[in-house]
Amino acid sequence: MSITEQGLLERDKDTMTLNMGPQHPSTHGVFRVILEMDGEVVKTAEPEIGYLHTGIEKTCENKRYVHVIPMTDRLDYLNPPGNNLAFCLSTEKLLDIEIPERAQALRVIMCELSRIASHLVWLGTHALDIGAMTVFLYCWREREMVLDLNEEISGVRMMTSYIRVGGVAKDVTRGWLDGILDFIDYFPAKVDEYERLLTRNPIWLDRTEGVGVFTREEAINWSLSGPALRASGVNWDIRKSNPYSGYENYDFDVPTQNNGDIYDRYRVRIEEMRQSLAIIKQAMEKLPAGNYKTPDNKVSLPDRETLHTSMEALIHHFKLVSEGISVPKGETYVPIEGARGEVGFYIVSDGTNVPYRVKLRAPSFMAIPGMCKMMEGCYIADVVGIIGSIDIVMGEVDR
Amino acid sequence: MTSEEIVARVESSLPDAIQGSAIPQGDAVVFVAPDNLQKVATFLKDDPVLKFDYLSDICGVDYLNEEREPRFEAVYQLYSIDHQHSVRVRVGIEEENPSVPTVSELWKGALYPEQELFDMFGIHVEGHPKNERLIMPKEWSGHPLRKDYPLTTETVTFSHNRDFKSDLVKSKPPTR
Amino acid sequence: MGLIEDAAETLETEVNNLKLNVQDAVEALDSEYAGSLYDTVLTTKLGKVVGWAQKNALWPATFGLACCAIEMMAMANSRWDSARFGAEVFRASPRQADLMIVSGRVSQKMAPILKQIFDQMPEPKWVISMGACASCGGVFNNYSIVQGVDRVVPVDVYVPGCPPGPEALLYGVIKLQEKIMAEAGTDKAKKRVA
Repeated sequence: MSITEQGLLERDKDTMTLNMGPQHPSTHGVFRVILEMDGEVVKTAEPEIGYLHTGIEKTCENKRYVHVIPMTDRLDYLNPPGNNLAFCLSTEKLLDIEIPERAQALRVIMCELSRIASHLVWLGTHALDIGAMTVFLYCWREREMVLDLNEEISGVRMMTSYIRVGGVAKDVTRGWLDGILDFIDYFPAKVDEYERLLTRNPIWLDRTEGVGVFTREEAINWSLSGPALRASGVNWDIRKSNPYSGYENYDFDVPTQNNGDIYDRYRVRIEEMRQSLAIIKQAMEKLPAGNYKTPDNKVSLPDRETLHTSMEALIHHFKLVSEGISVPKGETYVPIEGARGEVGFYIVSDGTNVPYRVKLRAPSFMAIPGMCKMMEGCYIADVVGIIGSIDIVMGEVDR
Repeated sequence: MTSEEIVARVESSLPDAIQGSAIPQGDAVVFVAPDNLQKVATFLKDDPVLKFDYLSDICGVDYLNEEREPRFEAVYQLYSIDHQHSVRVRVGIEEENPSVPTVSELWKGALYPEQELFDMFGIHVEGHPKNERLIMPKEWSGHPLRKDYPLTTETVTFSHNRDFKSDLVKSKPPTR
Repeated sequence: MGLIEDAAETLETEVNNLKLNVQDAVEALDSEYAGSLYDTVLTTKLGKVVGWAQKNALWPATFGLACCAIEMMAMANSRWDSARFGAEVFRASPRQADLMIVSGRVSQKMAPILKQIFDQMPEPKWVISMGACASCGGVFNNYSIVQGVDRVVPVDVYVPGCPPGPEALLYGVIKLQEKIMAEAGTDKAKKRVA
């Protein structure tokens, strides 16, 4: 429908309609906001999504469980291991299997590395939108280190598909372990560098303090989650409240702030980067020896050496590769703490090797109406800052 | 509270509104009919012991292939921030004129998922301020996530239908 | 089934419309082009100079759609600096850009906007289709993804990958530069300028 048919262009209004279209450098993806403005002040912000709808949920209903995992990579494409982990945890809950400790520790390391990488993208693009271009270049420099580690362990820079049902895809290499230790030594100074550039910068403070405020009750009611919720004073982190994959063994803080404006969300995420590094450090120190995937051969592939001698291993390998795992009938939902908030997959299984229904609970999707509520009463320049601070990724919004 | 306690409290407080309950893999699940949804949801939110003030997700499922009545289902995931427990409410919806009342007065975060329920499944949400398409284009017909909606209308070319592929290549508009 | 027939009919009409569009465009190009400078003054050598200038200053329009956009941003950053190849600034407005890198999956809702942005770019313009989804639909063969962006806009270089690394995209840009130089001064380059 054209804009006139939608009733968006009426001559007798005294507000101006501005279309912040799907192609825009600051909308972090293909997101459209239709702003009703009185001068420079935004009266209402009407979001429109669906420009990146990929039909992933329907595609997953035709794919075996192991083939769904690369699909989940492409949902929240800045935090692929988080999506993989959420899907695998839901499937493993239906299968009712135990994951070995080494696999759990490796999963934690991958997820926290990916959280750091995602926050680096957030910081780079958010600062670029507000005007600080140097931070953009600095953040990507560190992100390249994380992507090199991804490539070392899985072969792919971004869409690793490393976390599989039953454990992880393969064991670690010496180069990867050394690379992580180097990263742990190198990174804290860089976070301090970003803070030196922004945290007490008067321009940054003017642009972000007091802008886009959401109170505690509003944030809970509008289903915000993750760093945006914690910046409004809600101390809720799924890694602490419903721990998964061994997070109860690690000692880390959950940063919260009280004002709920853009500046507080920035502070929360910067501190989260430091805490993620602390978790990686602890996981590396305590990295247990053992299996990197469950020894249950109905779920994970058997080791290649056993294929030469064991008939059962050969049959299991054949069944797993040709048919895939069969998940018992049921439905489940396991939320995890992704980089943007609560991520979870609601999986309905009908007993076959293909899931019946796969639904992603996307934190960015749930945050969009709240985000547009925040924009009411702000200047147009603040709209850009607000979108950046909520950190939406359209891949998971539109699925 | 554990899942058993949550289910017991809900069943004892609203015996007529609950169709059934289950605890699969340790999660608390409650089955509700669409007419009772608002009553149950209000109770779940306001009861001080349960206090489910956070709506995690609303998911729609089409059980056409399972051939069970009712065909559709809307699944509400709720979480309590103070008590840190969660519950799942499953609402079965009939195939003829599927509709479910809105919970967006209780949780504003329900606005988008309910609009998606309409867009993807055709389930009308009564009381929702906007009953229009959210993710698909406005002129789209059909509800994609229903089981009788095809995944794709284009044949995938494999080695057994090579002729189709060559036709496709011939009929493609020329690029520069 | 009614739905499948409807969808097949819609697809057919869309394909026919595209075919008619292309026929019109080709006919228009064959007729007299307004670039009279090419006719009278420019020789092949001067055309080569123009081609050299064009290839060394390809300004991309920001058309990042999905995951490939992140790798496109990585290409623009300090490790694989695309600025040293001339792609210095990513222009936000398509009116100021001459290269459109379609990075990411194009959904049915986005396809008309893609065409609109492409139309808004002034001639001469080039299109790089980055990634598997833009080239052929990628891993998503379903109702909502356009199976290849070349159904909507004419593409010059296809860069495969999911997502292609920044080095692959940079190789694609270099290949496009070679293509521009190969076409420079010939009829093909004249056809790009209305």
